[in-house]
Amino acid sequence: MTATTMFPLPIAIPLAVAAFIALSGKLLGRRFSDALAIATAAANLWMTISILRATWLQPQTYWFGNWWPRAHDVALGICFTVDSVGASLAVLASLLTTAGLLFSWEIFEDTENHFQPLMLIFMAAMCGFSYTGDLFNLFVFFELMSVAAFALCGLKTLEPAPLQGAYNFGLVNTVGAFMIVMGIGLLYARTGALNFAQVGRSLGSSSDALVLLAFLLISVGYMVKAAIVPFHFWLADAHAVSPSPVCVLFSGVMVELGIYAVARVYWTMFQGGLAAHTRELRAILLVMAAITAIVGALMCYAEHHLKRLLAFSTIAHAGLMLAGVGLLAPKALGGFSLYVLSHGVVKGGLFLCAGIVLHRLRKIGEDHLHGEGKGMWWTAGLFLLGAWGLAGAPPFGTLLGESMISDSAKEFHQAWLPYIFMFAEIVTAGAVFRATFRIFFGWGELAPTDRSSQIEEKPETDEEEENVPAVMFVPAAVLILLGIALSAVPNLRSTAEAGAQLFTNQFTYAQAVLQNVEPAAPALTAPEPLTSSIVRSCIALALALLLALGSLFHKRIGGWLKFTHSLELGNPILRKAHSGHPGDYVAWLSFGTALLGGMFVWFLRR
Amino acid sequence: MLNYLTYIVAAWIFLWGLYGIVTSKNLVHQVVCAAVLQTSTYVLLLGIGFKVGGTAPIFADIPVGTSVVDPLVQALMLTDIVVEATVMALLLSMVVKSNEVAGTVDPEELRVLTG
Repeated sequence: MTATTMFPLPIAIPLAVAAFIALSGKLLGRRFSDALAIATAAANLWMTISILRATWLQPQTYWFGNWWPRAHDVALGICFTVDSVGASLAVLASLLTTAGLLFSWEIFEDTENHFQPLMLIFMAAMCGFSYTGDLFNLFVFFELMSVAAFALCGLKTLEPAPLQGAYNFGLVNTVGAFMIVMGIGLLYARTGALNFAQVGRSLGSSSDALVLLAFLLISVGYMVKAAIVPFHFWLADAHAVSPSPVCVLFSGVMVELGIYAVARVYWTMFQGGLAAHTRELRAILLVMAAITAIVGALMCYAEHHLKRLLAFSTIAHAGLMLAGVGLLAPKALGGFSLYVLSHGVVKGGLFLCAGIVLHRLRKIGEDHLHGEGKGMWWTAGLFLLGAWGLAGAPPFGTLLGESMISDSAKEFHQAWLPYIFMFAEIVTAGAVFRATFRIFFGWGELAPTDRSSQIEEKPETDEEEENVPAVMFVPAAVLILLGIALSAVPNLRSTAEAGAQLFTNQFTYAQAVLQNVEPAAPALTAPEPLTSSIVRSCIALALALLLALGSLFHKRIGGWLKFTHSLELGNPILRKAHSGHPGDYVAWLSFGTALLGGMFVWFLRR
Repeated sequence: MLNYLTYIVAAWIFLWGLYGIVTSKNLVHQVVCAAVLQTSTYVLLLGIGFKVGGTAPIFADIPVGTSVVDPLVQALMLTDIVVEATVMALLLSMVVKSNEVAGTVDPEELRVLTG
């Protein structure tokens, strides 16, 4: 069996198993369904890793039903085109699903809620999303992923908060999905094709109003999933109420896939047409990225609901990732892929830790948990390590991703970007440090309260237990330690850059898909020294600790350091904007789309 | 003109759907507005695939070179319908649950998570 024939398996097998469990879960019982789901996810992890090894710096295409392009290199069939970037995202999705399913061994007492089948469908859709080489197929997997996600988010239907979170999530993302369909329709009307390579070839270098509108609609649609400000409002509501293993998938990989999709459609289809306006497009995307990072970080620090705090930190980091894509350069994109992987495991681990807190202490609000976690030193250690990773300090893989994006930013004379990174890292890591010191060490003043932290989440496990079960602790620890292990992979940065070079080359991509010409493997370049990034991240780590301590002891230190406390109280205007009203969110979505469209018309027209 | 008309109608429905979602005071109404918004994608896809004077694209009994409508668009639309029917059903079931649990279908009153 060659590697390409394996491509559909990580999608087909979990879907089949999901159907099987959904049908016969009651007969099989809870434990058997669990074991089967975990085994399937682990098998998927193994398959996606084999696919990653097979496509390492040599993208390969699988044509469904053997419909490979015959005459005149016209693609009529549907294909999976797997390259290093897509393949590693599928590995991440499978890894996090496996961890989430293991974690869920102890939670949810019944199989009525279809938790395991939904997780498997979610995983299959994410793998398909990262593998596909077809525009409409991308949308179908997007929707499959969304529907599974909406259902998983609203799993605890006995409380109003999960319903609100899941409904807002569903409605806003669905409006985004309609925009994607519109964009795909426009592109199909122009080119008569749906294959990325084919559409890209047909569009050539045209960048008229229709192409710009299609680019606008498609990228906004995916940016809704990627939680880019002002399309991000649903994310915090959905994360705050989802079961912890589901949050792992949402924050660890689903959001990142939205950014990946923007990168994919840009480099395979619109790159040629927008080539003359790269500078303007870069500026627009970087400004969005910076705003996202700042808003996410500020809201993150002002939250005291542990999961919602982590959710806003994901928004801040999504801004950093968008910067990796928005620099529109292979090196930055390589940094993006490294950052996604390392952030995904660290954030996944942190969400599992939040799940452990909910399991052991039965509450999730920082203000209710002051000093309650004393004695849970191992979990506290994981939280501290996770915050360390969010700060992007060595030895975490986040450092490597951040350094590549920052180096690339300097090449494009965007020297301000690393400071935005630092800001987001300081504030998000500081928030996790602050929560850890309060909950597990009982330091400092009581946390000020906010409305969301008053929502007491119903614990996911039935009775209180004195210890943390291994199935909960081990996945969390493994994920966070993987964030460190990642940076030990040899030649990681040069390989990521080489993979990104293949990703960004529209010409060789189209040749590989349509004419089966294998692209020459790019030469590995020596990575730049890490010194300045290490210095920056160590400063960030120190400042994050100081920020956390400042908020904890604001009454004792006084003076200008009081600002740490007002940072914790949050900006009232920003808070008010996150109103929890789905209509408001869609209004923001429309406003953002109109604004972005206006900027496109202004800056990207010839 | 006919060519452009479908696009204008699609945009028109899209914008009214958005307006409905933004201003809605009832969750059921809001989901239906999303369904209205969705119909704009049907109109757009119809406009793309339709050809004046084109016949059905069944090549068994028509001479080569006959003008036909685009056969692919129906597949796109069918997928679109199936996928979005699922989403609408899911959203409506959440509204039903919200009525049971929170006793309200007003998005204003359901707001628990804010700030």
